[in-house]
Amino acid sequence: MRKILVLIIKLYQNWISPAFAPRCKYHPSCSKYATDAITEYGLKGLGMSVWRLLRCNPWSYGGVDYVLSKNTNQPIKSGVK
Amino acid sequence: MEIGFLKPLYFVVSWVIVNFHSALGLFLGENSHESIKWSLSIISLVIVIRIILIPLFVKQIKSQRALTALQPQMKEIQKKYKDDRQKQSEEMMKLYKEHKTNPLASCLPILAQAPIFFALFTVLNGIARNIPHGPLKGDLLLSAQQAKFFGANLSSTFLSSDTTTQTKFVTVLLIIFMSATTFTTQRQLMVKGMPKMDASNNMMLQQQKIMLYVFPLIFAVSGVNFPVGVLIYWSTTNLWTFGQQFYVIKRNPTPGSPAYEELAKKRALKDKENGVLPEVTEETGTTQIDPEIKQRQQPSKKKKKKK
Repeated sequence: MRKILVLIIKLYQNWISPAFAPRCKYHPSCSKYATDAITEYGLKGLGMSVWRLLRCNPWSYGGVDYVLSKNTNQPIKSGVK
Repeated sequence: MEIGFLKPLYFVVSWVIVNFHSALGLFLGENSHESIKWSLSIISLVIVIRIILIPLFVKQIKSQRALTALQPQMKEIQKKYKDDRQKQSEEMMKLYKEHKTNPLASCLPILAQAPIFFALFTVLNGIARNIPHGPLKGDLLLSAQQAKFFGANLSSTFLSSDTTTQTKFVTVLLIIFMSATTFTTQRQLMVKGMPKMDASNNMMLQQQKIMLYVFPLIFAVSGVNFPVGVLIYWSTTNLWTFGQQFYVIKRNPTPGSPAYEELAKKRALKDKENGVLPEVTEETGTTQIDPEIKQRQQPSKKKKKKK
């Protein structure tokens, strides 16, 4: 299940998102955040991703917002995107 | 397809369409063609939604203006983390947050339209299958069933069995139109509307290549499954996006973007003609638009009126 969700987001990142100008107010972007959150937390991660997507709105100032690792409580800084 | 919690939205969408339909009847006269009225009702629905969404864009433009003051810091970040794009964007987002401004659009304005889009989809499907929604029932439903857009049935899709060649033709034209408008909008934003990043031209070229086949593909795959009415909605909203962005880039460009520098040059030239000495900054070699803009609360109204 996690893998399928992550695969869908990866497809979006590789094929759809590059066609549009960057628009995310956060670093990492919402899609990167979602793959990290889902890999780390599963279904709860999906909820976190939806919440992140809602927080990324015209009234927000964005900022740096990593998913925290379950074990170490450190930000997950993997991958490039 | 019916989803419970979207029911109120089905009602609103059909209510808006029906009311525009009767208003257009008054406006265009009694003999006006039903097809024209129904098509224009869908277009009017788009216009209403986009007008409601305008404050979101105004918000974005305002925060883009505030960027002028951050230019030196932004340049420094770009220089400092030239080879580390991740660090570069991390620092950039930090800077925006610190100064409580963020020029990026976020996804919400698009996501907010999704339920409306879906509701329209359901209402139009309802017309094709004789399912009433809200005030769209009885004679109105029958009339809407007959409505055509350039000869294509509003409620039929490319793939449905009873589709005429004319409907297929119009669908293909609309798919081409949607791809073209989205492509031009995104291209314009990337080439002129964004602050220059250190991303190489190479990346831009690659993006454009992806754009060239991604948009037609997205619109073709979804377009053949959507009723013509939904495609009209989509085309209109794309056209609106293009127009809105065109206006913003021309009149209110993001500081640091190529469009901003163009405008600054143009205004400097005008000032010269009027005998005002332009203020040239050493670093960039371009002319400041107006020192007032640096203070974010005070947009230069004087200059705006000048045209």
